[in-house]
Amino acid sequence: MIRRTRPISHIIEMAGIYVVALLLLIAGAFVSPDFPTAENFVNILSAVALLGIVSSGMAFVTFSGNMADLSVPAIMAFSGIIAVAALPLGLAPALVMGILAGVAIGAMNGLVVGKLNANPILWTLAVAFFMEGFMRFTWSNNQVYPDTAPGTPGAAFIEIFRMHAGPVPLVVVIMLALFAAGHLVMTRTRFGHESRLVGSSRAAARASGIRVSRVVFLNFVVAAFAAAIAGILITSMNKLGVFYLGQGYDFKAVTAVVIGGVMLSGGRGHIPGVFGGVLVIGLLANIMTFLGITAFRQNIVMGIVFIAVVGLQQYRLRAQGKDYA
Amino acid sequence: MMRPHESAFAALVMEGVSKRFPGTLAVDNVSMEVRAGEIHALMGENGAGKSTLMKILAGAFNDYTGAIRVGGQEVRLESPMAAKRHGIGMVFQELSLARPISIAENLLAGRMPVTRWGMLDRRRMLDEARRCLELVGLDINPLKTVEEISQHEAQQVEIAKVLGNAPCILILDEPTSALSREEVHRLFAILRDLRRGGLAIVYISHHLPEVFEIADRVTVLRDGRKIATRDIADTTPQALVQMMVGQTIERFYSRRETAWGGSALRVEHLTRHGFFHDVSFEVRKGEILGLAGLSGAGRTELARSLCGLDPLDHGVVNVCGEEFAGDYPQAVAKGLVYLTEDRKVDGLFLRLSVEKNLLAALLPFHSKAGIYRSGRDIFVTRKYLEELEVVAASAETDAGTLSGGNQQKVLLGKWLATNPRVLILDEPTRGVDVKAKRKIHESLLAIANRGAAMVLISSDLPELAGLSDRVLVMRRGRLIGEMHKEDLSEEALLLAMNGHEAPAGRSP
Repeated sequence: MIRRTRPISHIIEMAGIYVVALLLLIAGAFVSPDFPTAENFVNILSAVALLGIVSSGMAFVTFSGNMADLSVPAIMAFSGIIAVAALPLGLAPALVMGILAGVAIGAMNGLVVGKLNANPILWTLAVAFFMEGFMRFTWSNNQVYPDTAPGTPGAAFIEIFRMHAGPVPLVVVIMLALFAAGHLVMTRTRFGHESRLVGSSRAAARASGIRVSRVVFLNFVVAAFAAAIAGILITSMNKLGVFYLGQGYDFKAVTAVVIGGVMLSGGRGHIPGVFGGVLVIGLLANIMTFLGITAFRQNIVMGIVFIAVVGLQQYRLRAQGKDYA
Repeated sequence: MMRPHESAFAALVMEGVSKRFPGTLAVDNVSMEVRAGEIHALMGENGAGKSTLMKILAGAFNDYTGAIRVGGQEVRLESPMAAKRHGIGMVFQELSLARPISIAENLLAGRMPVTRWGMLDRRRMLDEARRCLELVGLDINPLKTVEEISQHEAQQVEIAKVLGNAPCILILDEPTSALSREEVHRLFAILRDLRRGGLAIVYISHHLPEVFEIADRVTVLRDGRKIATRDIADTTPQALVQMMVGQTIERFYSRRETAWGGSALRVEHLTRHGFFHDVSFEVRKGEILGLAGLSGAGRTELARSLCGLDPLDHGVVNVCGEEFAGDYPQAVAKGLVYLTEDRKVDGLFLRLSVEKNLLAALLPFHSKAGIYRSGRDIFVTRKYLEELEVVAASAETDAGTLSGGNQQKVLLGKWLATNPRVLILDEPTRGVDVKAKRKIHESLLAIANRGAAMVLISSDLPELAGLSDRVLVMRRGRLIGEMHKEDLSEEALLLAMNGHEAPAGRSP
């Protein structure tokens, strides 16, 4: 009487984004003979690794019904700057401090949104604005350079982004590890299940005995943690820390999350889908590059894709009569 | 002398109307007619097709089949605009007023009078608003915002808004579910006036006494089909219930043994300023304590503060001999749970599956060191779906797609799964069909017999009188009386709730 197997529609929903990825792969093969090569695939993964890392954390904020953490770019830049500034203490302490700096911002976001019920979009937007001003003021608009003399922690720091595990860059490994961890947290932990409930209905979650403010707090901390890691990596890549390093990652991450099937209204979606969303963005950008489309025009395409996907999701829910919440 | 509706012509005729949703035929070849100057009740269990039928009339679907005639003229109601144009006005169960803006602006939304220069014509707006309010006999300042008026005034404004479009057919969906007795009487007076004015009124309700009080004729739907249309004078409540359910109901409430255990919940001097004052009572294991009162008497507020969902200013709560002063998650851990008043607001996760809903309150119980153990999920889900006879396509179905009765069963199952010691139930069967209601009552009696204590808040007096072992009467935030099982009757409760007469028995 009670079916345990997931309905077909569920599986299609789950696979949907990967079908799109596959179609893009086929399309890519027609665009250029250089496209379907192992080297290019590693390229694609490397190109989306930072975005993937940010998205794996951002997904938690969206999933729990808080739409997006727009302070992600600020967190990235701040973590990088703090890590570089702390390099004289040694590499490991610098990395820890960089991550803590980012997580501290996330904790503040989580507290304000979770406990004081601030609007997540406006609050994180304000934090981003404040942090940009704060960083420009504190470091007088300057870039912060690590000491990269051989043998110093600084030299090791800028190597992080350039390390490989076999043929695969470390960033890609980190991204995959974070997605795997995110998936486990989402499906196997109490926190993951609570996030789904909070995202689906904050009021019902509270009335089911869930500490909503704590769950929301942790969601923002997770997002900030992932953004801090991405921030340190992007700083390592650029060999310098500066306030604008995370620019654009807020919107791109939300796009990946939404393309991956996580509803902006919360409660629906899963981490593997978000990884698919990141892949699709990577493939799309790669193909457009092969076609000679410039970065700015690619942004236009991404914006259109975002609007189309959100519109489609909404349309489909309405068609299924599921727009009751 | 003929009664008005016998001489009147048909204002609305439906012939062979059907509407199919994927998988179900929600409305199956229904024909009915509503006459000018009559109040026509539409009854049926949840899922019988009432709401779908009325949504067709409101222009919610463009793919229904069958013929609809308004005032003798065939019409296609393909959009809400079309329905409005053909003179069909619908008052939904959930009010659709915008709360922060004025009554006048709400009344005239979409047809604001403007001056020659395209500016808002305030004088005409106010005149027109007053004219609308007069239609329902409401004398309030139209410049007040909706937030400033009471729930039943807001409903009258809603009706005035629909009447403002001069409809010839008025449809009301469960208009009394949020109203107190007095407010219901006021609403009925308005409806009678409108009937006298020749309006055709369709009145959807679950409430048998109301239908017998107000309606001229009644049509019963079951499983999407029309069962019958009857003159109210020619039918009985028993006959209607039988048509709705399709089988005979012998007994509603079964007897239960009366051997209570020790104290399960004791509260002393509970006060939340502005809501309730100095409330003390005790419930013993296995006992069902009813809380009677009009809406606004402070029962829901008391329940929410008692279990830590809302703040409490003074007082002591004692659960099974242990003092409790914590937040709601702690209350749940102690076995003190609260089934919320409104399943759609803070009861169910409408867009999550039935299974996820049933398991929602179990998270802390099934987790160890932050890791969720899903091993018992299937077992729990199956147990409560079967025990409560939930009708759902599968455990993966979204809770929001279920009928009201099944939603309420899922909500109850969520709490039963935590095996509570004290269960506070706030309107456990509001807007639920007869069969589901009976099933829920059976389950409540069964778990009370197993030793759980219950506090039952209900505006359904037969339910309160039938299930409770003892009833406390609350009025304006205070307990004003106590009634024992022997003295319980609908009439006695009504009198006590209204504070007209000191109820029999001692005061607490």
